[in-house]
Amino acid sequence: MNKKHNFNLHYLLENASFVNWAKGLNKNDMEYWNNWIADHPQHIELVESAKAILIGIRFEPQFPDAQKVDKALAKILPKLRLATIGAVNNKKFLPLKRVITLLTAAVVLFLLSWTGLSLFNNYNTTVHKTNFGEIIDLKLSDGTTVVLNGNSEISYKKDNPRLLYLKGEAYFKVKSIPSTDAKFWVLTNDLKVEVLGTQFHVNTRKKNTKVVLDEGSIHLEFKNGDVTKMIPGELVSFSIDTEKVVHKKVTRETPFALWRGGTYTFNEIPLKEVMSNLEFTYGIQVKYESEKLKEIPISGGIPNQNLKICIAAIEKATDTRIIHTGNTILIQENIIN
Amino acid sequence: MELHSDETLWYFFKKGESSAFAVLFKKYYPQLHVYGIKISNAPNLTEDCLQNFFVQLFEEREKRGTIKNLKAYLFVSFKRSLIKHLKKNQDNVPISETQLFKSNFTISAEEICMHQEIQFLCTKTLHDLINQLSPRQKEVIYLKYYSEMTTSDIAEVMDMNYQSVQNILQKAMTKLRLASQNQQIKSILKKS
Repeated sequence: MNKKHNFNLHYLLENASFVNWAKGLNKNDMEYWNNWIADHPQHIELVESAKAILIGIRFEPQFPDAQKVDKALAKILPKLRLATIGAVNNKKFLPLKRVITLLTAAVVLFLLSWTGLSLFNNYNTTVHKTNFGEIIDLKLSDGTTVVLNGNSEISYKKDNPRLLYLKGEAYFKVKSIPSTDAKFWVLTNDLKVEVLGTQFHVNTRKKNTKVVLDEGSIHLEFKNGDVTKMIPGELVSFSIDTEKVVHKKVTRETPFALWRGGTYTFNEIPLKEVMSNLEFTYGIQVKYESEKLKEIPISGGIPNQNLKICIAAIEKATDTRIIHTGNTILIQENIIN
Repeated sequence: MELHSDETLWYFFKKGESSAFAVLFKKYYPQLHVYGIKISNAPNLTEDCLQNFFVQLFEEREKRGTIKNLKAYLFVSFKRSLIKHLKKNQDNVPISETQLFKSNFTISAEEICMHQEIQFLCTKTLHDLINQLSPRQKEVIYLKYYSEMTTSDIAEVMDMNYQSVQNILQKAMTKLRLASQNQQIKSILKKS
């Protein structure tokens, strides 16, 4: 705002930060613009005009209802047949739908790769990164809580914390903004999660992305263009490499591994899966004395902040001996038995 | 993700797909219907004209090239054909577009949402205030917030440049704001 002649209505309407202020979307922007207005009272009229244009008037459109539209359509369809004999063919209906999906898939893929490039490789990006074994609690400027597990990373553009990129593992408690229906997005290498306000868990380790929904409802958009909706208590995993989708309800019978607020919860998960979670979180390498040790099932919660406690708990649960030296962990059978 | 993006719709519409025709019809008929009635103030005539418009659009689809902005294109072509039709029906009395908008283009109280986000817009009299605006200001407000168009869409529909649309929009919103404030102040003074 240093150059005075650059400051006009158009500038304000196109300024993302100003739009956030006018719509009450972002606390930082609101603070900035409130201060700015206090310092520049001579511009108050222009600012108010711009705000009014952005928010606008809410209408209650009196459109004709669906029945009326269908009637009108039925009335003119016969006229079209006369005009184009042979063009109206029922067989064509299905291929059309498929091609439309294909086309939109291409558009979505393009958009995703574009956002990936342009949004996260620039200077306005905020990055939060955790070391091995470190867990951080984050409060984003829009009120959303993120718990970031060890060896993980989120990044987002400063003016839009509701679109973020995740590598690793995190738990989200998204603050909903009912007045504007502002959405929240999490992007990973495999998919996009679209949320209104909810609690869910995302894990991108192991070359796929796993999403578990606790509360609310979310949309997933896989990078191959497919979309799906999730309801609470469901687990979806997808990998862009294999295009394999798993969509199921989390029940007592389904094996799953979840991390939430400092605890790993396992349900009939083989030891090798449990250990690979630890490999990612702590950056260690796990070796097994024999193949059959890998398959020992584990159930229950294991504290995650401290590797020593974690190993002790696993030793007890699986009745094995675990030797920890440097960055390597060796799992042996318990010879005392 | 919108399954029926305008681009794909238009592509298949031009190929003569009946399902694309149906989707396009259902998507734009309601909006064009209301817009047409605002211009003509004659529901039956508007309906006939709009249905003919869709038939003609289909018949002449090959003549129309690739269209960058389908929504604006439909609004502007329908507006033209409706006004042409209206002029024909006005028995020998020539009528200009501005006159049409001046006499017909009104917003009713039911069309205003009870809850306005800008607190100084007083809902009770908002439709009155909008109706007192100039025809162009009314149309810009209507296209922007009723039909949810972007400023460049509006520029296309009203055959103006972007800057002029923005100026009209600014003037209209400022007028509404100030008039609404004045009315609120008056009503407070009356009470006390």
